[in-house]
Amino acid sequence: MRISTEGLLIVLAFTVVLVVELRTVLAWFNLELTVFESLMFSVALIVAIVVWALFPQDGSRDTDASGSS
Amino acid sequence: MSDATVNDAAKTTESTTSEPLGETYLDKFPAEAKVVRSALYSSFLALALGGLFGVIQTLHRTDFLRIMESETYYTVLTAHGVFLVIAFTIFFLVGVFTWAVTTSLDREVEDIRFTWAWLGTMTAGAAMAAAAILAGFTDSLDMSADVLFTFYAPMQAHPLFYLGLTVFVVGTWMAGADWFRSWFAWKKENPGERIPLPTFMVLTTMIMWYVATLGVATAILAFLLPWSLGLIDSVNPTLTRTLFWFFGHPVVYFWLMPAYMMWYVLLPKLSGGKLFSDPLARVVFVLFLLLSTPVGIHHQYLDPGISEGFKFIAMTNTMFLLLPSLLTAFTVVASMEHGARQRGGTGRIGWLKALPWRDPVFAGMALAGLMFAAGGFSGMINAGMNINYLVHNTLWVPGHFHLTVGTAVALTFMAASYWFIPQLTGKKLWNRPVALVQVVLWFVGMTFMANAMHRAGLLGMPRRTAEPQYDGFEYEAGVGSVAELDAQIALGGIILTLSLVLFFAVIIGTVLGSRSDEVPANGYADTLSGPEDSPKILDNLKLWFGLAVVLVIIAYTFPLLSIIERGGLFGPDITAFPQSIDIVSMAWLTVEQYATDTFTSATEVAQATIDGVLR
Amino acid sequence: MSSATEQNQADQGAGGPQLDHPVREIGHDEYDPIGTLTLIMLYFLLLAFLWVFMYFVEFLGNDPTVIGWIGTGVGMA
Repeated sequence: MRISTEGLLIVLAFTVVLVVELRTVLAWFNLELTVFESLMFSVALIVAIVVWALFPQDGSRDTDASGSS
Repeated sequence: MSDATVNDAAKTTESTTSEPLGETYLDKFPAEAKVVRSALYSSFLALALGGLFGVIQTLHRTDFLRIMESETYYTVLTAHGVFLVIAFTIFFLVGVFTWAVTTSLDREVEDIRFTWAWLGTMTAGAAMAAAAILAGFTDSLDMSADVLFTFYAPMQAHPLFYLGLTVFVVGTWMAGADWFRSWFAWKKENPGERIPLPTFMVLTTMIMWYVATLGVATAILAFLLPWSLGLIDSVNPTLTRTLFWFFGHPVVYFWLMPAYMMWYVLLPKLSGGKLFSDPLARVVFVLFLLLSTPVGIHHQYLDPGISEGFKFIAMTNTMFLLLPSLLTAFTVVASMEHGARQRGGTGRIGWLKALPWRDPVFAGMALAGLMFAAGGFSGMINAGMNINYLVHNTLWVPGHFHLTVGTAVALTFMAASYWFIPQLTGKKLWNRPVALVQVVLWFVGMTFMANAMHRAGLLGMPRRTAEPQYDGFEYEAGVGSVAELDAQIALGGIILTLSLVLFFAVIIGTVLGSRSDEVPANGYADTLSGPEDSPKILDNLKLWFGLAVVLVIIAYTFPLLSIIERGGLFGPDITAFPQSIDIVSMAWLTVEQYATDTFTSATEVAQATIDGVLR
Repeated sequence: MSSATEQNQADQGAGGPQLDHPVREIGHDEYDPIGTLTLIMLYFLLLAFLWVFMYFVEFLGNDPTVIGWIGTGVGMA
């Protein structure tokens, strides 16, 4: 993993903010996306981030994702 | 005591925070820990109920799920507002403030019975107000309080509602007295010493609260309560509204100050650094004490009966009030950066990666702070008199305060609970990853909900409305459609509810766990620049109190006089809504009549008896 | 200085082999909050931009919000 699981979670949270605002902002520049297009774009973006984060998998990083219960 | 901390800290190997383990608040102050715990549990109960009503009304007004009549919407909205912004926030505040005073003065409360007494008073008041509100759900009781958090006349609540609020506020006054008493006792033993920062924050906030609550106390005790009891026939709605907002703006800082305190005294420590500047923190709290109250009229920009000039003065004061919040943004971010750099962070932006994002307490507070920066902008829009006309009474405003009190405050409190509950129970946090997911979900849910609310507000969609759709009228949606905005609001509401469920899972899981040695030591952040660098005048609470009163007198005397001059103390003869209260006063009259009759007949009997005996 | 503060100073030094332990100590004089300056400048620029934008939209465009292309809103088209 390139970043920790927790880091990925935070990055994805910020991505949601970007995605929610993006369609409005693009529309101001005459780029009208439909809801479906912007949904597809968001999914693609999130998948890209997850893939980037997960590969290459070196597994050496120690995270406490399993919890401390 | 520092030795004990160091020794305990050496034991740990697998803790994932930078906080050393050691003596918890529970170990040091067992009796106080019980009080703080009770206060926090009360606040969580209010949060659970308020959150439930939140999702019900979100789905109702977006027309996804209407499980109730639209008339009941206002009962739900009142419960959502009052439970969250009065009970949840203030119960949490008294818990945190008690922690802050005892920890920073390093002394127990002066009399634990008094401490329990104020908590009991607050609880009784909250229960009374809650009973009056919840009674609105049933027709079998002739009682309701569907007056929303602002209880504007001519909407009228059952007397129990006003009485409950009064008792609750009296409880907070007693709590303030308790903390001042601790400070006086400490000062006697430590003459000439600077007030420790957390206690300073508590005391300035409470002075602000004493000044502010005079407004609401007058509104309730002099007008609304007698009116709802039927003792007076009418009130002047402009007057009671103005008195409400005299309290209504400072109360938002009353919610915010404990969150600020967490950002100043806990966040730097969790980031692995020190508070950038103690003097700056003091200046911020003094500014809030001075400026929170004389700005209330900015909530009434659209009220007729208050002249534009007074509104302009309130706007100017409000713009000054941005200063302490921007100072806070600087100090808090600088403290976090100090921690990040001590942890090895580098670069202009890269240091952000070195922050302990895996710690739910840190992540929750940092995300809350970020949301607050966004809420700051919509707040500036609200504050501007002319721009306010465009968004007043639209969904923009709930969008704004769900970023501020709904996230900056609520998310900070939830994150802080993950630190406090282990401190107060001596038990380890039940599941850190779930806690982290919870705070992130809150952030994401609020992104959807608040964003769509702001945008819907710009289209003119009204707030406080069960069915914001009208025949023969369509909102002109900018980008996308109203249906899409509604979907975003509903989606946000659902995510927030899910987040709440996880929050309670973590809290309950923690409380039900067993005692652990792996709880961080009680304490708060050290400072890079300490109180010795600040002028002593900052600690002169009498001076700041005096100035605050003077500013309030300047800002409010003339508006109040002009309102009374125009509408009279008790206003034009207004008709209360709902009318059910007439039944109460009729019932009262009946009781009175019955009592009089009984008394008269008793007197007659007695008279006859006496006459008989004498004869 | 109260004993609570001393305790916190002790906290700072008492680390143990922890995962996220600070790797260096930065004092008052060495600390240069350049990252804070960066973030604050970004926020300031954002606020300034939104404020100017708001003026064009609300007053010159006379619409409560931007509808369609931004150019119409700010009177450019």
